[in-house]
Amino acid sequence: MSEASRREVRAALEPSLARLWRYALVLSRARDKADDLVQATCVRAMERADQFLPGTRVDRWLFAILRSIWLNEIRSQRIREGGGFVDAEEALTTDGAREIEMNITASAVLRAIDRLPEAQRETLLLVYAEGYSYAEAAATLGVPIGTIMSRLAAGRAALARLK
Amino acid sequence: MTDDDAELVALIDNELDDKAKTALVARLATDERLRQRYEELRETGPPLAASFDALLGEAPVDRLRAALPALNTVRQPSWRLRGIALRELAAGVLIGLLAAGAAVWGASTFGLFDNNDDWRSAVADYTELYTNETFTPLNPDAALQAAELSAVGAKVGAALTPENVALPGLRFTTAFMLAYDGHPLAVMAYVDPSGAPVLFCILANQAPDAALRSERRGDLSLAWWKRDGRSHLIIGRLSEERAVALARLVEGRV
Repeated sequence: MSEASRREVRAALEPSLARLWRYALVLSRARDKADDLVQATCVRAMERADQFLPGTRVDRWLFAILRSIWLNEIRSQRIREGGGFVDAEEALTTDGAREIEMNITASAVLRAIDRLPEAQRETLLLVYAEGYSYAEAAATLGVPIGTIMSRLAAGRAALARLK
Repeated sequence: MTDDDAELVALIDNELDDKAKTALVARLATDERLRQRYEELRETGPPLAASFDALLGEAPVDRLRAALPALNTVRQPSWRLRGIALRELAAGVLIGLLAAGAAVWGASTFGLFDNNDDWRSAVADYTELYTNETFTPLNPDAALQAAELSAVGAKVGAALTPENVALPGLRFTTAFMLAYDGHPLAVMAYVDPSGAPVLFCILANQAPDAALRSERRGDLSLAWWKRDGRSHLIIGRLSEERAVALARLVEGRV
């Protein structure tokens, strides 16, 4: 196992925790699941640190691991168990008092995001919170760029209706 | 959502190629409704980013960080060790294992994170690998158990007997040696009635005395103290209160 890879991955975990958790919450819409997902991601990252290529972006690599665990293990398990998705009233929330532009609060925006399908929530997060280009998002999610465009447009159209 | 929304959003995000951008900008110059829609969509950008930023503040970073140290030693040698130990134990040749020292897992694998308490992380990591089936099949006779305890006790400078390591509600199965950072590490393995493993570990690392403390790591509870140059740890899938109670009990005996 490459010691350089291990060091780089280990060093990146702590500064990435909040962003990994946010991604996990946007995917799972359940805070306990988000906690589990982040912890599983960190464990998997250390186990597979030798697969990380030094010089590439470790945060993107961590995101890819998190997504893989979500899709292949946690979400699929919930579907197999017949549980479907928890239809949380408000999974994405914040303190609500923070007013942002358009005279609406972050809570209101997050509620609107919360109501979007998973694929749209995830695409909005990757592009507008994590700074993925359309091409990077398309590659990460395994869809054409046109699909990224339509997901982002649908998400922003939903937010425009809040006004 | 209108038919033009995807292109308008891509224009806002500066993701349109030159040809499409030129065409759309030309339409915007002459189409008041399209301009209005462009503006509506553009205004959603800053609130989106701000709201995602706000969500970062909701992350339970302290709790997630607390779980991180246990990652220090996630690596294959602990698997290898486990395989060797169980095979050898099952064959009843524990003394041979002790002679070998089981030291394949030790200083060289922990060079990155050597501080005083990281041995707990190392133990937590391999405890995570144990299942209800790991120790349950082990049922050595009392004489062998006493011999094991005597042998591992000698390695860490402690007088261990079936009586002074007995823990209420748990069945003692076996004792074996590991090594951490060059220091001998004695491990006593127990199972509860469901088979869930609980370990009592003694590391002879010349650590200064420290009072009993406890913590949770994932689904594991840990209770530890340091005395007479040895670090002691009770760890397993049990409540933190129970781990502390067991630790207090054995603290008075060993």
